[in-house]
Amino acid sequence: MADQHDVETTGHQWDSEEGYPLKEFNNPLPRWWLYSFYATVIWAVVYWVLYPAWPMLDGYTKGMLGWSMHQEFAQDSKAALAQKKASNDRLEKLSLKEIARDNSLLQHAMSGGKAIFGDFCAPCHGSGGVGVKAGGFPTLADDDWLFGGDLDTIYETIDKGRDGAMPAHLQGAGGAFSEAQVNDLTEYVLSLSKRSQDAAAAQRGDQLFHGEAGCNGCHGDLGNGSIKGTVAGSPAPPVGAPNLTDAVWLYGSDPAVVRASIAKGRTGHMPAWGSGAKETGKRLTPLQIKQLALYVHGLGGGQ
Amino acid sequence: MKHDTIERSIPLMVILTLVLISIGGIVEIVPLFFIKSTIEKVEGMRPYTPLELVGRDIYIREGCYNCHSQMIRPFRDEAERYGHYSLAAESMYDHPFQWGSKRTGPDLARIGGKYSNMWHQAHMQHPQSVVPESVMPSYPWLKKSPLKYEDIEKRMQVLAMVGVPYSAEQIANAKKDLQAQASASSDASGLSQRYGNKVPKDDFDGQPDQISELDALLAYLQMLGTLVDFSSYQAQAR
Repeated sequence: MADQHDVETTGHQWDSEEGYPLKEFNNPLPRWWLYSFYATVIWAVVYWVLYPAWPMLDGYTKGMLGWSMHQEFAQDSKAALAQKKASNDRLEKLSLKEIARDNSLLQHAMSGGKAIFGDFCAPCHGSGGVGVKAGGFPTLADDDWLFGGDLDTIYETIDKGRDGAMPAHLQGAGGAFSEAQVNDLTEYVLSLSKRSQDAAAAQRGDQLFHGEAGCNGCHGDLGNGSIKGTVAGSPAPPVGAPNLTDAVWLYGSDPAVVRASIAKGRTGHMPAWGSGAKETGKRLTPLQIKQLALYVHGLGGGQ
Repeated sequence: MKHDTIERSIPLMVILTLVLISIGGIVEIVPLFFIKSTIEKVEGMRPYTPLELVGRDIYIREGCYNCHSQMIRPFRDEAERYGHYSLAAESMYDHPFQWGSKRTGPDLARIGGKYSNMWHQAHMQHPQSVVPESVMPSYPWLKKSPLKYEDIEKRMQVLAMVGVPYSAEQIANAKKDLQAQASASSDASGLSQRYGNKVPKDDFDGQPDQISELDALLAYLQMLGTLVDFSSYQAQAR
């Protein structure tokens, strides 16, 4: 086991008594590694000179290039805006109806709207606006609207938000009616969509609906909601009272769910994203809301 | 000194290692305490209200930070999705901060006010009921667990010790303010006098008769990233 290499050892030797003289070679580092290492050291110094690097007592070295992340971000944003400027200027100037008539501009607006919808709206309204029944988040892909499905109303809804205002009716839950009366009301509401089991109860509910409880004040004399606007007693502007005579149910069609809505009320909340936003600031610009309105209008139910 | 000498003497090696790391630490960390531009001067920052503070502790307890960051970086794609990039000032009262870098879920730095309380209630109960493709686990116990906040004054005192400017009045009224914020109908004049009138006050969990852990967590989530008034903030070249 004589030294086969002509290399210096560290002088450390193990197991010499056993006849295995293990020694530690002090080999030089491989050249490629050593020079790469020196190169990284030199690069570090170059970097210190060019880029922000060393913290000082009251600031930091700014570097010769004057680069800053926030500046780069500002330039990026500006460049992206400049790229879209021609289309965006027209979107800003034209009304929603005018944009809807210009096919290529509409495509541009809707592709922007789709991206915004994915992050801001889809969590509640589902991707593609299919709605989420469990939470009372309305579908946007059908032609059943609480506040109106024309472009300007959709814009207003996104811009200012909406609040449901169905009051509680049951005593103890904030209302003024007994269990029996709430049951009667439920029976009448079910009768509007031809699902009543008890004609006498529905008859009593009818009296309450158009009398003491005043449901017709919002839902209309025929119970077909506040935005149809075709029946006597429909209030204007719309208060978001749904049509009770059709098969579309925001919180579910089950009699127990209908009863819960009457007993405890419903206060669905659509956040405001533009000028109506108070506590959280305006998340979306008028331009973005325009694109969103066009996209939502185009989901299938726009009027 | 040859490395041979250093390597053969453990005490010497330990001492020299400590010296080297200390230099690195001093150069990198110490200036941060003195450089004035580290924390931007902004309008609107305030310490957490008691309810938000307990909610933040629940956020940490449940390990939300394992999947959610709270740091919007200054890139265009991030700003377009999440809003204005995060400022150092926005986490100056955070001990510890929740910046993170792991994003299995989305960044939450500006989640406040983005979705309604009703959405959050459904989402915490069973995330897939509202977002079918979500991989987030359910947190149904939050709604059922009454909030424990007997020690809220202590929590605030500890934070005050490390520099959060809680006043003696804020600490003394902690329980009252917590209860006021968790109800939609309570009198909140004291709360808004002590923390400003922008404090979102609501029955966050949809259960008027009890203050649950969900109340606290939602109060915290609904204020995240909403404090700084960006209309008055001018980005300096930094």
